Amino acid sequence: MSITPGILRRPRAAAAAFAVAALLASAACGGSSDTPDATGGPTADTLLSTAIQAPPSSFALTQLDGGQGSYVWGSLYDRLLYIDNTGAIKPNAAESFTYSADRKTLTLKLQQGMKFRSGAPVNAAAVKASLDRIRDTPGPNQANEASIASVEAPDESTVVIKLKHPDGSLLVNLAGINGVIGDPATMADPGSATDPMTSGPYELDKARTVPGSAYTLVRRDDYWNVKAYPFKTVRIVVMPDRAAVVNALRSGQLNAASVDPTQVDPLKAQGLQVKPIAASTAGIMFLADRKGTKLKPLGDLKVRQAINQVFDRTKLVQMFLRGSGMATTQVFNPKSQAFDASLDKDYPFDVAAAKKLMAEAGYADGFSVTMPSFVTTKPFEPVVTGALGAIGIKVTWEPVPLQNYSSALSSGKFPMFFAFYGLDHEAVLSTLYFSPGTPTNPFKSADPELTKLLDEANAATDDATAAAAYKKVNQFVVKNAWFAPILDIGTTWVTAKGISYLGDGTSVALDVRTFGNAG
Amino acid sequence: MLFYVARRLVSGLVLAVMVTLITFLLLAPSFNGIVGNRLGSAATPETVAQMKAQMGLDRPLATQYVDWLSHAVRGDLGRSYFTGIPVRDAVEQHLGVTLSIVLVTLMLTVVVSVALGVLAASKGGLVDRAVQALSLTGHLIPNLLIAIVLVYLLAVKSRLVPATGFTSLADDPAKWAQSIFIPVIALLIASVAGLTAQVRGTMIDELRKDYVRMLRTRGVPTRSVVLRHALRNAAGPALTVLSFEFVAMLGGALIIEKVFAIPGFGSYAFDASLQGDIPIIMGITVFAVLLVVVVNLTVDLVNGWLNPKARIF
Repeated sequence: MSITPGILRRPRAAAAAFAVAALLASAACGGSSDTPDATGGPTADTLLSTAIQAPPSSFALTQLDGGQGSYVWGSLYDRLLYIDNTGAIKPNAAESFTYSADRKTLTLKLQQGMKFRSGAPVNAAAVKASLDRIRDTPGPNQANEASIASVEAPDESTVVIKLKHPDGSLLVNLAGINGVIGDPATMADPGSATDPMTSGPYELDKARTVPGSAYTLVRRDDYWNVKAYPFKTVRIVVMPDRAAVVNALRSGQLNAASVDPTQVDPLKAQGLQVKPIAASTAGIMFLADRKGTKLKPLGDLKVRQAINQVFDRTKLVQMFLRGSGMATTQVFNPKSQAFDASLDKDYPFDVAAAKKLMAEAGYADGFSVTMPSFVTTKPFEPVVTGALGAIGIKVTWEPVPLQNYSSALSSGKFPMFFAFYGLDHEAVLSTLYFSPGTPTNPFKSADPELTKLLDEANAATDDATAAAAYKKVNQFVVKNAWFAPILDIGTTWVTAKGISYLGDGTSVALDVRTFGNAG
Repeated sequence: MLFYVARRLVSGLVLAVMVTLITFLLLAPSFNGIVGNRLGSAATPETVAQMKAQMGLDRPLATQYVDWLSHAVRGDLGRSYFTGIPVRDAVEQHLGVTLSIVLVTLMLTVVVSVALGVLAASKGGLVDRAVQALSLTGHLIPNLLIAIVLVYLLAVKSRLVPATGFTSLADDPAKWAQSIFIPVIALLIASVAGLTAQVRGTMIDELRKDYVRMLRTRGVPTRSVVLRHALRNAAGPALTVLSFEFVAMLGGALIIEKVFAIPGFGSYAFDASLQGDIPIIMGITVFAVLLVVVVNLTVDLVNGWLNPKARIF
């Protein structure tokens, strides 16, 4: 006797079977997934649909972070200045900005008629309140305002920032997180972490937003500069998995995203446009203990130079990045004013020469070092171990959970470490890499010559002078082997027809304005 | 029975307190790292100390835990350190997503596994060998591989279902079904493989027992012998396996959630752990423990209902 038909004759079993059939039928007959709801597909009014790997953190003014979440909060908040796609700093909510002759006073004139979503005016008092709150509240961006002595709002549309000393990174920061304008009436509310009162070009469509997963932004037609934002709706979906991004692009759920270079071919074959950016993130060996306080050999320039010569950078770019990146000995963006192409020839791959330098320094047998192993560095660790092993440096990798990243580096436990950092503006990178006591300079390395060069760059009254000064900073750190940069990792942007990626790698600002609708 | 249920629920609450205390103590050594990561490149010993004080992480551990617990018992699990979202809302939302996939998977698992297991046990021979081969194949094929193939065929090539994302049942039932179709299939295969083998094995054991022979000699129809008597007795072990599958799927759905960009419980727990988002980790722990307690209790009650000899209340 057959059992299965019997089961299907039973009402409850039949109901279950029907549910299965309904599920399958629904899936089979549902047609295209082009819906902007939680599945994230574009429809006629969703003109830009892109993906980020990690969700934005809090939207509270003092807790904004500079990762890919910038696409979201940068669309909600208006900013004083703006970095365009060529890397130039341009007026934005501040229609003009002027420095005093001594570069210690910055005067900003605000646009007229700007409004928060509530209808309240965006004025100098709001800008002052925002700058003051970021400076006075512990958070990731507080240190960027360390140079600010005071902020004044002499009238409705004028903001005067007085500095303790010239700060070359101030304008870049005012074009980023430190330039966001919050609503003084609500910026301290706990609710601002998820629903801040903002005055930017877009507002959050809460009905079509799942915090942490997908964000739908709808353009504000009353925004003062609405013409700069061609997309009426922007959909930003969190997709940690790179294969998911490719599938979403191929199935039409996304119309713009960055992908791994190895995944480009099927996308090209499907008619999608591909735009490679040669360098956006640097993989750098930080030779942090430059005085040799914890690891004596690192205090010797010859040892640091030897380390720089053991990496076959060109081969590594091919091996790890399939050519989507570049070999370099420099920590600055190849498109920046600080970059000097001739410096890339300073440390050619030459193990024999490296061994000679080690012997001259008195370390012919090498030495041992413990470096932190993060989930992000794991793929590179065998290469680093092998390369350093060639000159007798024995590496022990100590696992460190990612949540302990900053504290592990700041602790001074690791005299050298491998890490990745975005190729930001040279002024920002100078602050990041050379400020004493930060995770990237835990041994508080300083040098009178470098300090003088940084002061020159900070006090430069024009771009050419600043560029010359930052180039000298770069030359100093390469010649003195403060780092052993290995490679710059590129980004490959893929866009559907009708969408274009406008960046060229000069600016690393993550902003919806890097996308156009003329592709 | 009510007393038994109440006793189990109270012991579950005690268990939740113990597990959350252990979780909190395990997190404690990372406080500096968590704050440092929040500050990023601005992290110096001074700013870390300042922010720790602002977040209340500089207080004695006992004070911090009791403070958290006193709020938790009132339903206030705090807010995420990183996003500021209320923990309870966030965890419920992500748990709901995973449950809507896992429960459908389990329902289908029961239907398919019982059908296959009973068929194999009662028919034997070629049918049994075919079911065993299917079960083995289901065990051997990684569900991620199945997912990748299905995405290519059904999402990329045919565009019948979305390649990624999730639509909630409340928003749109049809789109919900579409969005969970591939994840459910991917989870279902291994789950069915496991339960089918279990049902087949216990059914074979039951069908060889004396009471089955007795029923057959008394002329009870085969269908009734198999479904009403043998299956009822075989259901106990299968239910236990099913409860294990459920608990495993809550965390095991992580890979599927990542691959399909589904905002589920597993990926949320994973991300919170990487970030060191203490309030979220604690909230997830509470929900996970309570869920396991409720599932185990339910299985015991259902077992008792199916088989009075197995009653422990």
